Amino acid sequence: MEVDPRLYEQISVNDNDIHNIVMSYLVHNCFKETVESFIACTGMKQPSDHLEDMEKRKRIYQFALEGNALKAIELTEELAANLLEKNKDLHFDLLSLHFVELVCSRKCTEALEFAQMKLTPFGKEQKYVEKLEDFMALLAYEEPEKSPMFHLLSLEYRQHVADSLNRAILAHANHPTYTAMERLIQQTTVVRQCLNQEHGKDGPPPFSLKDFLRS
Amino acid sequence: MGGVGDNEPASKRMKLSSEELRHLSNGSTLKEPIVGSSRNLMAQPLQSEGGEEVVGSKGIIKKVEFVRIIAKALYSLGYIKSGAHLEEESGIALHSSLVNVFMKQILEGDWDGSVVTLNNIGLTDEMTLKSACFLILEQKFFEFLDEEKVMDALKTLRTEISPLCINDSRVRELSLFIVSPSRCFSIRSPKQDTSRARSRTKLLEKLQKLLPPTDIVPERRLEHLVEQALVLQRDACMFHNSLYKEMSLYADHQCARDQIPSYALQILQAHTDEIWSLQFSHNGKYLASSSNDCSTIIWEVDANGVSLKHKLSGHQKPISSVSWSPNDHQLLTCGVEEVVRRWDVSSGECLHVYKKAGLGMVSCGWSPDGKWIFSGVNDKSISMWELDGKELECWKGQRTLKISDLEITSDGKQIISICRETEILLLDREAKVERFIEEDETITSFSLSRDNRFLLVNLLNQEIHLWSIEGDPKLVSKYRGHKRTRFIIRSCFGGLEEAYIASGSEDSLVYIWHRGTGELIEALPGHSGAVNCVSWNPANPHMLASASDDRTIRIWGLNNLSAKQKDTHGNGIHRCNGST
Repeated sequence: MEVDPRLYEQISVNDNDIHNIVMSYLVHNCFKETVESFIACTGMKQPSDHLEDMEKRKRIYQFALEGNALKAIELTEELAANLLEKNKDLHFDLLSLHFVELVCSRKCTEALEFAQMKLTPFGKEQKYVEKLEDFMALLAYEEPEKSPMFHLLSLEYRQHVADSLNRAILAHANHPTYTAMERLIQQTTVVRQCLNQEHGKDGPPPFSLKDFLRS
Repeated sequence: MGGVGDNEPASKRMKLSSEELRHLSNGSTLKEPIVGSSRNLMAQPLQSEGGEEVVGSKGIIKKVEFVRIIAKALYSLGYIKSGAHLEEESGIALHSSLVNVFMKQILEGDWDGSVVTLNNIGLTDEMTLKSACFLILEQKFFEFLDEEKVMDALKTLRTEISPLCINDSRVRELSLFIVSPSRCFSIRSPKQDTSRARSRTKLLEKLQKLLPPTDIVPERRLEHLVEQALVLQRDACMFHNSLYKEMSLYADHQCARDQIPSYALQILQAHTDEIWSLQFSHNGKYLASSSNDCSTIIWEVDANGVSLKHKLSGHQKPISSVSWSPNDHQLLTCGVEEVVRRWDVSSGECLHVYKKAGLGMVSCGWSPDGKWIFSGVNDKSISMWELDGKELECWKGQRTLKISDLEITSDGKQIISICRETEILLLDREAKVERFIEEDETITSFSLSRDNRFLLVNLLNQEIHLWSIEGDPKLVSKYRGHKRTRFIIRSCFGGLEEAYIASGSEDSLVYIWHRGTGELIEALPGHSGAVNCVSWNPANPHMLASASDDRTIRIWGLNNLSAKQKDTHGNGIHRCNGST
């Protein structure tokens, strides 16, 4: 059951909707200059105080990605007062980034002290104990990159934490935490999956973005 | 020094060559047997095939090993001087000097030294070596934490423990202890000299278990070997039926036959027809018998013997089974395809009658908490009631046959019943899982062991089968010898730790087998009709009861008791009839 491309012709898509989709993507990822030129080109209404906050959010994201968690935490506190209090998981993840930095620069004593002061208080709740163990285990190895926990030192991990922070800040300001574009792609994929499961071989194949863009 | 004593009389002194004298003085073990008169007083050292010396008549005990475990036993008993003398006199060292140094280093806390020594001992298995090092360094780590030397502990962890590359999960746990030392204090006692010594001793014990026994002789090895022998002797003893029989090392354990109840102490006559079912209460203080004469009798068991307590009448049909409540205060009786009655034991009153309209019950039983009863019904289902008569549950389907046994395990989880002629159903009430015991011949009755792990199944072909019912049912033993052709004959577990199987038989004898070996130990004559059922007193391994078509119950016991009564009653058999 391949969908007939001609069916697409019958659905009209509003220009404004498209602009909003693009804008939400740009705003989410803090592409400030692009947002400004996009607004100029399309004549869209400027989103209220997005721009200033976007700049701050961008800096916070960058610091987190670099591993400079303390700076990221400081700026977050400025931007969104009790956000970290309400998101303990996130707070722990950010602090752990700093811990990882100290471990990577082989500052063991500092790392130990930092952990004792900042991380162990989380250990009172059972759900953090395992995470705490994961990070403390890094201290046990002279070459943490070769330890079983090496993934905690990776760029992917920092990206994951930075993304979570970004979403949390957006949520705090009552903005959507996911871009419309992301959601649309996810939606299509899920719908295709359902149809595929129901109709088996007769149904449409699973959604592939790559194929779609090529066609 | 392991050779000729200087204070022996001159006539006995051996003439030794200077060569041999030199060997003797430096304490090496003599390899060649020295022939001579005084030597016959000492054990002749034999040679095993491997060239090592052996002791014992079978030539399988290596002398070096034997002496070493004796030395170890002497030290454990606290006889330090004797242990040292033995090592000196025999020339056989309990531990090599390296091992002695190693043990000393552990107890003194010389960790680095002990690791070096360990490497020098020359263990063949690298994993063992690493595990042992891990244990030693772990102790070093914890002792640093005890002294609050956190950075030293961290250094040990990083530079010594992690590089061993074993036991990553333990490394994780250790790293957590660094940040929260309080966690490990809750497990270990705070620093004190005595507890430090104790934990080092514990470490040594762990290491002893880890290292090969040839290097370090395991603790209490001699005691373990002796206990093994004693247990084997006890298990092989077929007549072992008394608790007070202690085991001695001086002679192999073997009970005489006299511990098995095989003398008829009493004959109880009160029923007026065949007796079909017999059951001691759990506490052994009462005996219930039920009969074709539609009555059940509760007998009381005390120091003077067994006497009639109550005769329970009320059923209109012969009674097929009885069941004692878990606390023995009440009794259930079931009439053949009739009703189930609940009786109070002390007053003899009937407390309740359980019936189902249009149907008849075939068997009955109690829940382990005594709060509800269950019964097989002749429509093949099993019903469950609260004591006051409210029906709780009913399992339908092929659950029981017309007349069949019904049991529930003492944890309340499994219901056991004969569901088909050749099949027993084990129904797990909670998990709703069914397991089956399948036989080739028709099953007539069964009996559950006290520990719920075994089932004794009586078959049409005159065999009794013992099944293990933990996990998948497995046939364990078969018992033969008794006769069963037309009627239902029951058997039971009994004796000390249920080590015996007893059964009735159509040839009027009571059969007793040793459970473990399957050997027939006794076939007791006395009854004049088929013996239908037996029950062994759970509280007294020396009392067995049997009931027969000849309308009597016989109480069997040990010879000593009947010898006493032989003075008071002519033939030594105490008869008791229903009149009080």
